[in-house]
Amino acid sequence: MNNMFKGGFNAVHRQSLVISLTAFFTSLLLIALVSVLFLITFRGGAYFWPEPIYDVTYKVTGANESAKSEHKMFAQLYMADEVEQIYQVHFADEQSPYGSQMQLASADIINKELAYGSAEIKTKDGRFVLGQPEFLSTPDSRREDLSLFSDIQNRVSALSAQIEKIRRERLSPIHESLASLDSKGVDQNAPARERLETQFERWQHEVIHLEEERDEYELSVTFANAQAYAIRVSEIKSVDYVSQLSYFEKWQVVFSRIATFLTDSPKQANTSGGVYPALFGTVLMVFLMTIIVTPFGVLAAIYLSEYAPDTPFTTAIRISVSNMAGVPSIVYGVFGLGFFVYTLGGNIDALFFADRLPAPTMGTPGVFWASLTMAILTLPVVIVATEEGLRRVPEGLKRGSYALGATKVETIAKTILPIASPGIMTGVILAIARAAGEVAPLMLVGAVKFAPTLPIDGEFPYLHLERQFMHLGVLIYDGAFHSHTDAKNSSMMFAACLLLLIVVFVLNVLAVILRTRLRKRYLQG
Amino acid sequence: MLKLFERNTLNVADITDETTAIDVRNLNLWFGNKHVLNDISMRIPKNKITALIGQSGCGKSTLVNCFNRLNDLYDGCKYEGEINIGGRNINSKKVNVSRLRTQVGMVFQRPNPFPMSIYDNVCYGLRLQGIKTRRHLDDAVESALKEAALWDEVKDRLFESANALSGGQQQRLVIARALALKPDILLLDEPTSALDPLTTLFIEELMAELKKRCTIVIVTHNMQQASRVSDYTAFFHQGRLVEYADSDSLFTMPEKKQTEDYITGRYG
Repeated sequence: MNNMFKGGFNAVHRQSLVISLTAFFTSLLLIALVSVLFLITFRGGAYFWPEPIYDVTYKVTGANESAKSEHKMFAQLYMADEVEQIYQVHFADEQSPYGSQMQLASADIINKELAYGSAEIKTKDGRFVLGQPEFLSTPDSRREDLSLFSDIQNRVSALSAQIEKIRRERLSPIHESLASLDSKGVDQNAPARERLETQFERWQHEVIHLEEERDEYELSVTFANAQAYAIRVSEIKSVDYVSQLSYFEKWQVVFSRIATFLTDSPKQANTSGGVYPALFGTVLMVFLMTIIVTPFGVLAAIYLSEYAPDTPFTTAIRISVSNMAGVPSIVYGVFGLGFFVYTLGGNIDALFFADRLPAPTMGTPGVFWASLTMAILTLPVVIVATEEGLRRVPEGLKRGSYALGATKVETIAKTILPIASPGIMTGVILAIARAAGEVAPLMLVGAVKFAPTLPIDGEFPYLHLERQFMHLGVLIYDGAFHSHTDAKNSSMMFAACLLLLIVVFVLNVLAVILRTRLRKRYLQG
Repeated sequence: MLKLFERNTLNVADITDETTAIDVRNLNLWFGNKHVLNDISMRIPKNKITALIGQSGCGKSTLVNCFNRLNDLYDGCKYEGEINIGGRNINSKKVNVSRLRTQVGMVFQRPNPFPMSIYDNVCYGLRLQGIKTRRHLDDAVESALKEAALWDEVKDRLFESANALSGGQQQRLVIARALALKPDILLLDEPTSALDPLTTLFIEELMAELKKRCTIVIVTHNMQQASRVSDYTAFFHQGRLVEYADSDSLFTMPEKKQTEDYITGRYG
């Protein structure tokens, strides 16, 4: 009786133990997945959310008790510690007009109220001023009402355009003529040179004059303690009265900030501004990689599956292709640096760009070498997926094609490849997703924290394969080193993470849609 | 009475050089070490239906695959002997295999339409030959589909996927695909074994119609089918041609004991 009971107990409970153990680890996995998504979405999203500005009065505790004083500031408050009631504060006052951070205990706050009149004023170099706009001053020392702001902003940008035009159309041609005179060895006092120099000075004077006029348009703001501060209108990118925004208007601000984020270049050492060059660099690198890896991988897979005889050698090739996927990516980075950049690039330089040596042209990390390295890294993915797709093509269809007089090449091109295309697409998109997220090898072969120019521009040959480029992953990696100082607990790093996540997610969804469509099209009836 | 008289005139011995479509002489074939076809010699007559019967693995499908050199696809396949089609030995190395396969069409056991539109399926072979003119293709598609008795069923949906067709329609589409190339010989490798009886009957009627314009060789496991549709029948056993005669004689008074055993169902 006892034994029977024991046996039944064991059997039932052993089974339920196994179920709960497996379920436990499955739920852990789910939790990990959801928390990654939640954290990235929440913190990345917070980067764009306009936080209201408060007018805060707080106690300043000095070295001794008698030195106690009160201080007023405009601040955005973020709860840093729920238990101790400590805020992380992003504030601005006359000592640090462009904002600073501090921690503030809730107990020290004497008074805080929404500052309706104050605004988040964003400058073009990516900094913020928290202040209350008061009036606009113009070159003729008049005070204009704030309602004329957009009018004055237009006037300022017209002046900037004028300055730019003079620089482009007057100053640089003269500069070039002077340089050509220099190279011809024309005498310093030659009349032609003097005439040019006078002209140059005249236009330069004009530019300085216009710049002075432009810079005299100023926006005066006051801080919480009524101290005034003036910001040049030419430096202002946007003015958002974040405290008086309705919910709907907040979303408008969010969308305009997302637009800036996607189209602007990074400012303030990649902590502000946008990620456009990084997004552009990522897309370009991935695009080039796809162009390289697709024919390479597909042709190799066709050879392996259609032509190669079944020998131990081809089996060895297959095994090593699968194993290539497991090689740590940094190894590919080192290979790219050692072989592509130094050996290949160095030899190309010696052969074709010898006149520019010792300054390297191709013998330096750049977007082409990065694409090539990533192509090698993602090659196994494409080969394995393509082979899988080729293997699924029914033998009957191949024979049907041969029986109609098709040669092997025609059969591959017209029958086998179209039917294997879902598999090939899957491989290519997996490769794209992998390349978009990879960081380590890229840092060795061409991705940098900040690149002054895009790899594509209006100068011949338009696509500059030798240039270094920015990459979302590298931007995130770089951001991880200074993000913790941010008050919002959010930063451009999280926003860039969110963007990268969205890019990879969209690519995967695209892959699934494309695959289902192709499968449906080539479904076997 | 007239029909009976007509049929009785058929005789293998009467097949002359002029009326021969495929002349097989001392054909031997091996897959690796396996001797699959053993010294086959036979003449397959023009514009007649010749059925090849025998157990599974007796080599009849392999023989059919010899007529368009489809055996070349398999590694380790060796053959010797002659197969003369149109006065040329197709086993010769000089033969353009692609060209041969356009002259010798083939239909397989399972319908294998390509996953494309009906129109593109029929055009497949023509396009390979470099024919691109739309009008030319349109005409060829129409006449091939009419010959395969499929035109009326699909003329309104030529550009829809061939996979949407029924099994019988797919098989006729495959026949049309081969006919579009205007072949002299049509090889049917168990064309109806995956189809229902009614569709089978339909395809059989089609064959009777088609033999007016080309020679048909059909491999079948169905004895009734062989006796119904074929003019001549060849019985194979373990790689050897046991008996080859006009179908009436072979099915009514077989000369060999093995043939009799097989057609009466004593084995196989």
